[in-house]
Amino acid sequence: MSEERSLEPQKDRISRRQFVAGAATAIVSAVVGGIVGSQAFPKTVTETATREVTKILTSTATVSTTIPTTVVSTATKEVTKTETATKEVTTTVTVTPTVEKVPVKNAMLLINPVKCTGCMLCAFACAEHWMKEEHPELAGDTINLEFSRIRPMRFQYVDVVNVCYQCRLEPYAEGSDKHPCEQVCPTGALHTVEGEGKEGYYGNGYLWVDKDMCLGFDACGKCLEVCEEQFGSGISFDPITKKAQVCSMCGGMPVCADACPEGAIEVVVPGRNGRVYAEPPEVKAELYYMKLYGVRRDL
Amino acid sequence: MAELYGITGKIARIDLSREKVTVIEPDVELYKKFLGGATLGMYYLFKEGIVSPDVDPFSPENMLQVMLGPINGAAPNNRSVFVTKSPYGFICISLAGGQTAAKLRFAGWDGLQIVGKAKDPVYIAVIDDKIEIRDASDLWGKDAEEAEMELKKRVLAPIEYKDANVLTKYDMTPEWVEIRPPDPEKTIGAKRLAGVWLIGPAGENKVWFAGIMTEGFRAHGRYGSGAIAGSKNLKGIVVRGTKGQKLADKTKFLSIMNDIVNKEKQNYFWRSYGTAGIGYAEAIPKSGFPIRNWQWESWRDPRVAKALTGPFMDDASFIRKEACPGCALKCATTTQITSADPMLDGNITDMPDWEAMGMVGGNLGYLEMPGKTPSDPYTGDHFDQAEALAKTQYTTMLFDKYGMDFIEGGALIAFLMELRQRGYIGPEDLDGIDLKWGDVHAVDAIIRKIVKREGIGDVLARGLFPTAEYFAEKKGKPEIVQYAQGCHRYAQPAHGTRSNKDRNPLEYVTVIRPCEHTGGGSGAFMARDLAGAIKGQNFEAVTNSLVICAFASIYGGFYVWENTLELVKAATGWTDFDLDALNRVGDRYYALGRLFSLHSLRIKDPLEDWDKTFPPRWFEPLPEGPYKGATSVYNGDPEAMLADLREYYKLRGWTEKGVPTKEKLEELGIADIAADIAKRWW
Repeated sequence: MSEERSLEPQKDRISRRQFVAGAATAIVSAVVGGIVGSQAFPKTVTETATREVTKILTSTATVSTTIPTTVVSTATKEVTKTETATKEVTTTVTVTPTVEKVPVKNAMLLINPVKCTGCMLCAFACAEHWMKEEHPELAGDTINLEFSRIRPMRFQYVDVVNVCYQCRLEPYAEGSDKHPCEQVCPTGALHTVEGEGKEGYYGNGYLWVDKDMCLGFDACGKCLEVCEEQFGSGISFDPITKKAQVCSMCGGMPVCADACPEGAIEVVVPGRNGRVYAEPPEVKAELYYMKLYGVRRDL
Repeated sequence: MAELYGITGKIARIDLSREKVTVIEPDVELYKKFLGGATLGMYYLFKEGIVSPDVDPFSPENMLQVMLGPINGAAPNNRSVFVTKSPYGFICISLAGGQTAAKLRFAGWDGLQIVGKAKDPVYIAVIDDKIEIRDASDLWGKDAEEAEMELKKRVLAPIEYKDANVLTKYDMTPEWVEIRPPDPEKTIGAKRLAGVWLIGPAGENKVWFAGIMTEGFRAHGRYGSGAIAGSKNLKGIVVRGTKGQKLADKTKFLSIMNDIVNKEKQNYFWRSYGTAGIGYAEAIPKSGFPIRNWQWESWRDPRVAKALTGPFMDDASFIRKEACPGCALKCATTTQITSADPMLDGNITDMPDWEAMGMVGGNLGYLEMPGKTPSDPYTGDHFDQAEALAKTQYTTMLFDKYGMDFIEGGALIAFLMELRQRGYIGPEDLDGIDLKWGDVHAVDAIIRKIVKREGIGDVLARGLFPTAEYFAEKKGKPEIVQYAQGCHRYAQPAHGTRSNKDRNPLEYVTVIRPCEHTGGGSGAFMARDLAGAIKGQNFEAVTNSLVICAFASIYGGFYVWENTLELVKAATGWTDFDLDALNRVGDRYYALGRLFSLHSLRIKDPLEDWDKTFPPRWFEPLPEGPYKGATSVYNGDPEAMLADLREYYKLRGWTEKGVPTKEKLEELGIADIAADIAKRWW
């Protein structure tokens, strides 16, 4: 994918997450921009995003209301019984914005290695989501993390959440703008679904594996090999059919991000080729270790 | 056989002497009776005669078991438990968190039982149904952290590993091949999804209080399971499972699980600090902090305690939180030490958690300024407090890295420090090491000697009470033994008994894992509500048999009897299982655990020879703090505690010496394995 394509703002239908993500990226761009000289976000996107974020913040703000003591006394025992007059009570009301959930395009998952605790709730959610879709006969009574496309891996003192970074080849250097795994797939099973796809599962410009065409791990495995050799380790295999599995971003509405209790998974529109983020899990672990503890260590 | 849910009905028996793996398929009724984990493990130790005093803990006949319960795997707050005969001769039931238990369940096992002794160092690789005994000679001698990362690399599932290349240049564009052709050296296998249990050098050298480690800092610390693994030449167990877990009522199971996670998310305290947060509460409002071998349990100046409280530790050193699978409490924290002392500076470890800050913090005299006692006002500043924290973290790191229990180890070193303080021993007795209060360099030197079993370290490696007896004999001063702080010949963990705000000493006498601090029922004990205490203890026994987290159950209140039962039923589909069945698992745990230690240690009179092995300090007045002068709920009278103990035994349906009666064993359905043992005391 070219850089320009990912910069297109979707003015008409933009979800809350997209705005937050967009704003975050815009801030990152502003900070990093000067240093690496990369293209900043188009101004229009930054402005709209900031405005929308402000709106959301307001809706989750602290609300002060006047409530009669009688109502409150059960909750707050500190309120003495002699105080019969109405009392100002501060209540925090979190209002979930009722913006309809809309698929995000050109996004990717970025995991904050400091916030992530390695609790694996993202993988539980992902596995559950995909088992229901692909193995409904098992989903009724089984929990199996192997169906998860997002795989937390615990290295000592660091957790790496391994997932597809959506790398693209560079046409000038590699003669293609496809995803590397897509490029080496001998049957075309691994491909990008540009259109609608299946809502909540795939489509909207994200990778997808056609299970009927995939040769499977035993006969092939080229997608994983190229990924591990040059990029990350974003492909996994269905433990039953042995067919390839890749994160399809749930078609733009990833369930893992919602499941994370720490807010460590961000759905961002990075405006960059995903390969700038891609590393194999042990490399990520060693880098995180170096960043967090200031020491180099083989993991 | 009917389809099994929750459990898989398969336990692997791995014989390291004969290099053979067999599969045991226990009847489902056995699971309903013993549930799994600790209680099922104890059942096998009785059934196979390992309880017998003739079986030496370090002999190949001893069996090291890692057992799961029916909800291990998918349930939040998973833990793992090792059950074996401890090097000390009593029962070893030792738990830790981490991901490996879930992985063992996903590989399709309810437990592993390891017998025999390998000729050379080995590790066990479990990849679903396939269990292999593999060479680990190159890892022997490596510390627990380094060896773990190596073991993780070596165990990959078939769907993530290929030792031949499939990618060719024809799969790529010509331009791409030109700059980066396929690398024939690199094959598939970058994922790291295995879990590891392993021992450090302390376990290899059979230090009696060596633990089995996982994830760098999580330890099955107490009761010496690491030494048993070491005696079998077993470096580690590596597990990768891809089969998942079957649940009878998955919808219900997930809804309870979500409920627990959502409740956890509201718990600011645990999510922020874990047990690191309780330092101040233990020292001041509860007055139960081990200070200088329990001579003090609180400081005159509350500022001293600040160095070991969550918020200060967070400000000074916390880096990130680590959770067990499916848990939003994330009570563990990684830290990096900052210190003016180059030996300490830059080391990476975890928090310290509560037991560490007590046993290898306050207990070693790290917190007071040099030359001051806990009864003096604090004269230091925040950097001095940070140094106290750094010393505690460094000592924690040493114990984790070498794979040892810092409760027994911390108590041992504090005991030696008190002997030095009182002039019983000097540097000449400790190979020239001068164990002054607060001297982290001396502590570092003594720990290294213990791990290597070098010189005096060979004596100290047998733990607190054998060391106390050694010095009592060497010096011809039997009174030395009274300074060994513990009960049932094992060290007291970091919860004091004198203020009656933390623990009732009776709790330590009644628990079947010698001197454990997670026995349950503490509040009821302090109120002298013995029936309530038994209920609390039984629930904790259930927790240890399901092998879930005690914080989430006892302390967090996320699990209570009712929803625990619902969780078990949703997992297993046992329609005839009820609260009474759950409670009886606790009764069996207590009956078996009590008999194990009495029999294995050849105790003649359970009350006189075993239960009265508590230190006199429990009943001496507290010298300082908000409960100055307090002498436990029994007002300094051990006889009053023993009267309560007899009452406790009566409520358990045991004899007055604390032996389960024939009727009780029959009622619990364990007379077949336990009656012959119990009858000698009837």
